[in-house]
Amino acid sequence: MSLRVENITKRFGARDALRGVTLETRDGEFVVLLGPSGCGKSTLLRIIAGLEEPDQGVVRLHDRDITQLDPSRRDVAMVFQGYALYPHMTVAQNIGYPLRVRRRPSSEISAEVEKVAARLGLAHLLRNQPKQLSGGERQRVALARAIIRRPQAFLMDEPLSNLDSRLRIDMRAELKHLQHELAVVTLYVTHDQVEAMTLASRIAILKDGLLQQYATPPEIYHRPANLFVAGFVGSPAMNLLPGTAESGIFHRAGLSIELPALTGARRDLTLGIRPEDVDFSMAEQPGWTPARVWVTEDLGNETLIRLSFDEAFVTLRAPAGTRAGIDSLAWFRIRPERVHWFDSQTTEAIR
Amino acid sequence: MKTILKYSAALLAMAFALAPIYWLITISLKTEIDQFASPPVWFTFTPTLRHYAGIFAHDAFGHYFLNSLIVSTCSTLIALALGLPAAYGLARFRWPGDWSRGISFWILSNRMLPPIVTIIPMFLMLREIHLLNSLAGLILVDVGLNLPFVVWMMRGFVEDLPREIEEAALLDGESRLGVLLLIVLPLVRPGLAATAVFCLIVAWNEFLFALILSQTQSAMTLPVGIASHVTQYEIQWGAMSAAGVVAILPVLIFASAAQRYFVRGLSLGAIK
Repeated sequence: MSLRVENITKRFGARDALRGVTLETRDGEFVVLLGPSGCGKSTLLRIIAGLEEPDQGVVRLHDRDITQLDPSRRDVAMVFQGYALYPHMTVAQNIGYPLRVRRRPSSEISAEVEKVAARLGLAHLLRNQPKQLSGGERQRVALARAIIRRPQAFLMDEPLSNLDSRLRIDMRAELKHLQHELAVVTLYVTHDQVEAMTLASRIAILKDGLLQQYATPPEIYHRPANLFVAGFVGSPAMNLLPGTAESGIFHRAGLSIELPALTGARRDLTLGIRPEDVDFSMAEQPGWTPARVWVTEDLGNETLIRLSFDEAFVTLRAPAGTRAGIDSLAWFRIRPERVHWFDSQTTEAIR
Repeated sequence: MKTILKYSAALLAMAFALAPIYWLITISLKTEIDQFASPPVWFTFTPTLRHYAGIFAHDAFGHYFLNSLIVSTCSTLIALALGLPAAYGLARFRWPGDWSRGISFWILSNRMLPPIVTIIPMFLMLREIHLLNSLAGLILVDVGLNLPFVVWMMRGFVEDLPREIEEAALLDGESRLGVLLLIVLPLVRPGLAATAVFCLIVAWNEFLFALILSQTQSAMTLPVGIASHVTQYEIQWGAMSAAGVVAILPVLIFASAAQRYFVRGLSLGAIK
């Protein structure tokens, strides 16, 4: 166990930002806090950093209670969304700042700065001012400043969200590799589910200050704990169709699917199915459901098709080059073995 | 055409603003006969430096000048040193409810009182602590005059800084005081310079308190010294004007040295 928060609660005025969140990380783990804006993920990160004080709960780093400790004494490094470089210092001074604060000899500082700068491809920029750098370079300087003193944990608050989309993908890969090399526990806040899936060893999904699910990316994807997680992770999102259960059959106009035994005696169920688990045909097939093609999106490597039936939509992935005119008649089939069942009332997954 | 109109309007405004200065400078260069000539002599007089020579020959003038310099720089430095941490605290620390605004407004409200109201209590207090007729007493009073303004203005400048930069420094291991001195201070320098110039000018020009609180020559400042040329028997216009011209110079120098900061500092949000 390296970083652990226990039962963290925080209110801002009348609003609950966090409602009893407990989270534990393993050594060297890359944990992503994922959720829509206002879900409390940034607040949790700031509490761990010491920039906010929790109303209740404990923060532990390597078994040490650091809840009341000053941010400067926690030995955690943070990378901010806006990079937060010191505008009046050169790149070298920015990177070396954490060592200067610790009163290391200046020869050691400049040697360390050069080492870290070389590692992040900043060696030629050391004499520049932050305002002369591009967004990607500033991001690297912020990272360099965070890693130079080898902290016990990294905290990152949407560090890539100010970059354009191509650079973001490059930096994402670089960040993941760097974190693997450093093997320091990292908490990373984002609202971008693709970023979360690609970076995380485990994802903690938050909504309205409550932890929804804390699991590895494949588990989040294949075994979502509730309707919110199911709808939030995956692009395009999972199809969610509410309906009713009657004597072992799930009904929804135009659709009947046999229910597995575990759904029990519940009446209001929601069927969840990923777009890749829906079959598509332009010709009539026995037992398939008819629908109208609402729109098709050819992505080159695959085609996304959105069908409308019974005032609902089903999105599916079809092979590249699948042709289907808008408003033409088509058929689809939900693969029963891939269906996720949810209780419509509690929104919990039924497993 | 529009440009011509614009420039003539600007020239007119400038002439209006500078006319008294022109008058002051010419009188300081005129003999007594030309000073009182009617109709006034505008340009065609023989300039004389007699009044300037006169005031510099008179030891007291240099003494007043030095006093003014000491009082205004010391009071400005002290007001900045006290005001910046106060402003930082008001801008950044968590205050219950609306206290931060309340305290700021209370501080500023000290400047809303007409100075004449406080002058008698001030006199009595300084007398009790034996600071009447001393530079230290005047410095103390000028700090009191300028501090509210420093707090009010610097609070705005600090609030305009991105909070993230300070948070980054805290997480890098810096103490609060370190953040204030090594991160905030360099970043609010333009604002600080503008505030400093304002304080210098206020202290340099301060007349009322100096007049009442320093009645011996040893502690007199320039404005009071200049006014002392109005004597019971005559008004020494030439000497007064010459002293006035010399008194303008330091303000002119402060202002032009800090002009770059002044414009940037007063256009809030300059540091981004």
